[in-house]
Amino acid sequence: MENNVSHALYILQEPVQYMALSFMALMYIIKIRQMLKKPIPPEKAELKGDRVAGALESLTNVLKPWSMESTRKNPFFYAEFLIFHIAVALTIGATFFIPLVPFLMTPAVSKVFMLFMGLAFLIGLRRIYRRLTVPEIKIISSPDDYFAISLMTVFFAVGFVAMWMWIDGSPDTGWMWIFFLLTTFFLLYVPFSKISHYILYPFGRVNHGRTFGGRGVTNRNVKNPTWNPK
Amino acid sequence: MSEQGEKLGAKEERKWPTKTEFTPEMLEEMEKLLPGTLNRVVAASLSGCIHCGMCSDACHYSVSIPEDKTLVPAYKADRFRKWYKSRYDWLAQVFPSFVGAKKLDKELADEMYDKLWGGCTMCRRCTFNCPMGVDYGMMVRAARGIMQKVGRVPQHLQDTVDTHYNAGNNMAVPQDEFVETIEWIEEELQDEEGCENFKIPVDKKGAQYFLTLNPREPKYYPLTIQATAKVLNAAGVDFTISSRYWDLTNYALFNGNDPDAKQFALWQAEDVKRLECEYLLAGECGHGYRALRWELPNWVGGVPFKITSVMELMAKLILDGRIKTDKSVWDGHRATYHDSCNIARSGGITEEPRIVIRSAIEDFVEMEHNRENSFCCGGGGGALAMPEFTPRRIAAGKIKADEIKATGADICLQSCHNCTDQLKEIIEHYHVNAKVMNLAELLAPTLVL
Ligand code: SF4
Ligand code: SF4
Repeated sequence: MENNVSHALYILQEPVQYMALSFMALMYIIKIRQMLKKPIPPEKAELKGDRVAGALESLTNVLKPWSMESTRKNPFFYAEFLIFHIAVALTIGATFFIPLVPFLMTPAVSKVFMLFMGLAFLIGLRRIYRRLTVPEIKIISSPDDYFAISLMTVFFAVGFVAMWMWIDGSPDTGWMWIFFLLTTFFLLYVPFSKISHYILYPFGRVNHGRTFGGRGVTNRNVKNPTWNPK
Repeated sequence: MSEQGEKLGAKEERKWPTKTEFTPEMLEEMEKLLPGTLNRVVAASLSGCIHCGMCSDACHYSVSIPEDKTLVPAYKADRFRKWYKSRYDWLAQVFPSFVGAKKLDKELADEMYDKLWGGCTMCRRCTFNCPMGVDYGMMVRAARGIMQKVGRVPQHLQDTVDTHYNAGNNMAVPQDEFVETIEWIEEELQDEEGCENFKIPVDKKGAQYFLTLNPREPKYYPLTIQATAKVLNAAGVDFTISSRYWDLTNYALFNGNDPDAKQFALWQAEDVKRLECEYLLAGECGHGYRALRWELPNWVGGVPFKITSVMELMAKLILDGRIKTDKSVWDGHRATYHDSCNIARSGGITEEPRIVIRSAIEDFVEMEHNRENSFCCGGGGGALAMPEFTPRRIAAGKIKADEIKATGADICLQSCHNCTDQLKEIIEHYHVNAKVMNLAELLAPTLVL
């Protein structure tokens, strides 16, 4: 598929996006550096398990809904989570594929993207509703929580329509403009928002895995376990 | 034997200056203390919460008291997080309320006090259900440590720490009284059939195991010492009890005061070295086990001896065939086991207690949530030393009482003295027909001597 767009849209799709992306990367580097500068609590106790294996296991926890009771008991919630996050990756991916490798965005591929965007839009609406109505979620929600989920939901909706136009052979529509303007805003805003949680995810998971893996809680490959003395 | 009646604990007596209200000066001091508590785990836990609410069903407070939504873990932690964000969140510097940040004021500090002392046992069940790996144990302890340093700490909890500091054990049991108690327990043990030659050696140099106790044992539960000693004697274990630093508890784990925690650990480590023991052996005590096994080496910078627990040792003795049991002693009874949070979730001991139980009783039923998924009984985190929060503590124990009841067991086993007291209270309060017992008490009567 070709990407015959006006010079103005080209500027938005490429140089502006790259600048926004560089800004985001810079903010992330600062964030990561700040976290890395914090001391790690020492572990001088004789370990029962492997801290590295524990950390790796913990990092992949996101792919193992059976590993936590909270996801085990809520498979629907987990499925929503999975679709939503795949949609995030695809939607952001689309904003790079469209200007850079438009030939990859065939109608079939685009429809897959649209499917995820559409589902994520519905999930977004449900999550907003949940945040507004479930008392234990409402009580912990800040304006940023509402704004972040609303922004994502609108982003998916706009992306869906823009992709529809794209398949239709109209790459330079108002929808595409809104889609890329939103993307730019998104890239600039995300480092300051809770949406940047994926930067913190590895820290939290590695901390968890090192501690509880080392203690033989999460990492069952315990060396010399008491119940199997050699 | 060392000289009895010597002054144990710190040379200079101390009474921590506690306060009943937060003052502006205290808040100012707390601001100064905050950066020093932010290690990587605490910082990631404070900044990593996405308010997904997946921890809401994980906490015994929010599950047992569903009408109070301020007891969901994320809400409680946000009392601390709001303050953290006001200092460190980028967006909060411009739009604080947008990200839920709030400067530390008396109102927020009061909420922190209420929720982080009286609404969290640091059991980490939510941590195990949090996709972001938020560590409530570390985070809440950091907040408690800040409050404690400025004097805003539950009085009774601080008194317990002060007593340990001043007397070398948290119930101020005098050394000579302690030794007399042990001698009396030894006599009682020797009166049991087949135990005539059993001993409870005090201050035996070079013994393999340095057995530590919870002060509640010599004070109120001497039979648990007797039962433990019986098991160890029956297996021919070479152990001793120190006349000096035998108290394995460390309530500074709960009040967040690191120098005190380190001091208590150091006394004990020095005592193990004095008696030249190979193992420091934690008795049946949840936080005590964790404090010795997992925290002591960090507090004192490594130790030249090994650290294990009576739970693990008993399991090993059974598997090694060093003790023989007759399960028929408990025929007609059904047992269930409550996994203490500090032993299972924060300590990694989940199978050993079950080895002990299965060797001692035929009818054993697991609770719905067990091992690292076990609900806290409500007595952890120093909760039993905070009488101002007693009604909430009892209310929060409902889920555990319900689970015990559902097993139909008439014996509720556990390996922790804080759990013992809380389980006894909730069993009575919620009309559960079960007797609370520790593992040695279950095992000792079944021994074939
Ligand atoms: S650590 Fe335990 S008590 Fe504290 S909030 Fe989490 S589940 Fe509740
Ligand atoms: S599960 Fe974790 S990330 Fe979600 S609200 Fe609870 S603490 Fe926050």
